[in-house]
Amino acid sequence: MTVVIIVIAALVAIIVIWGLATYNRLVRLSVSAEEGESEIDVQLKRRHDLIPNLVETVKGYAGHERQTLERVTEARGAAISAQGPRDRAAAEGELSQALGRLLAVAESYPDLKANQNFLELQRELTATEDRIQAARRFYNTQVEALNTKIQSLPSRIVAGMGNFREREFFELEDRADAEVPSVAF
Amino acid sequence: MLLDDQIRRNRWKSWALFAGFFVIYAAIGAAVSVAVAGWEVHGNLVVFAIFAAVAILVVTFTLFMGDDMAVAVAGGRRIQDRREAPELWDAVETMSLAAGIDTPRIYVSEDRSPNAFAAGRSHAQALVCANRGLLERLDKEELEGVIAHEISHVRNLDVRLMTYAAVLAGSIALLSEFVLRGAIFSGDDDSPAGAIGLVVVVLAAVLAPIAALIIQLAISRRREFLADASAADLTRYPQGLASALRQISAAQVRPAHDRNAIAHLYIVPPRLFKEKSAGLFSTHPPVSERLARLDGLAGGQLHVHRPRARTAATQELLGAAE
Repeated sequence: MTVVIIVIAALVAIIVIWGLATYNRLVRLSVSAEEGESEIDVQLKRRHDLIPNLVETVKGYAGHERQTLERVTEARGAAISAQGPRDRAAAEGELSQALGRLLAVAESYPDLKANQNFLELQRELTATEDRIQAARRFYNTQVEALNTKIQSLPSRIVAGMGNFREREFFELEDRADAEVPSVAF
Repeated sequence: MLLDDQIRRNRWKSWALFAGFFVIYAAIGAAVSVAVAGWEVHGNLVVFAIFAAVAILVVTFTLFMGDDMAVAVAGGRRIQDRREAPELWDAVETMSLAAGIDTPRIYVSEDRSPNAFAAGRSHAQALVCANRGLLERLDKEELEGVIAHEISHVRNLDVRLMTYAAVLAGSIALLSEFVLRGAIFSGDDDSPAGAIGLVVVVLAAVLAPIAALIIQLAISRRREFLADASAADLTRYPQGLASALRQISAAQVRPAHDRNAIAHLYIVPPRLFKEKSAGLFSTHPPVSERLARLDGLAGGQLHVHRPRARTAATQELLGAAE
């Protein structure tokens, strides 16, 4: 009789410990996904802040490329006001395209290409672009781990009780992403 | 999860390393105390106490200054401003972002041999040190690959274990040399214990470097593969790291100094160390094997890396516009 009680007590203890560990793991993943998201925000804001300067500089040399310039400004406004990962990613993608067009146009203005300010801005923009991609990769990795935990059994039970919700991926057009499927070991 | 396992294993291995260090140190201490004081209990205790005090000092020092020690041996100079090494700075910042850790301190060593290493005791207390030769040779993608490998070491807490091993192994090597010289130059063999003591001391002096070697071997080659794979995951471009590894291992430049104590920290151990043997006693797997695994990650497309004038991001921007 006592043996049965001990066995049951041990089983309950194991389940409780496992439940707590799983709960903590879910909390950790949520927090780091949260951090990842705010890091993306920081880098996106950095890009947004660079754009007015870039537009002004280009205007000085290529003022009649008004359409291209306006598109960038508009895309920036849309990107700033967009809400939710999916819409924001789409708006940021638009902005990337508009910027790409602007830089392509700039290629045909030798004076502009020689401008130190412009070169510096272009370099900053490229570096920021790299960082956005990096921050996004981190965020998506965390979200993938979190979502997997939430979906799969038995951690799903703990996730349900703790009210953890799946997060959306932040998908930007990134060709490099297609090259490495996953780290298999 | 694989990375969590690795991190946990590294945590307890770090402590096992300290325990192992104490055992080795105590053995040498006992040998020396017998040699110096014979079998007299009081004298033995005094000598042993001195050893224990030194051991505690070394461990404390290692815990808090290990990374600074390693970078001092490598001759690294701290980079405070991005303009001093813009490519390196950007690579470290970007890869830290991708790994989700704080940006480590950045150092450059004026060594012409292309190499790099990371050291530190935690995610917040870490550094990355690149040789000048590396910065001169590699393009952006290759440098990012190398830095991603080092950042992965930081994230997996490999750096803690490797830094501790470097400093502890170094201190044991130093001690054994010290003891060996002491044994040779103290010719006072009046006491009967002197002869026995001498044998013990010499034995300890021979054993110590072996012990240090074992510590280095505790550092598994598996973590190099894991760091390579993580680097491919962080950059999404295994070709960059592969191309860098090929260049580093093919470079005929010898390191400026003999840096055996920190050889295992480097992404590819300096030649001096590597030439001895590629098998049992090497801390790193052969580069060819690492390349083969990276090739697997790249889906057999490893050879495609060509140095690019434009950065990936610019190309992406331009590509979107065309």
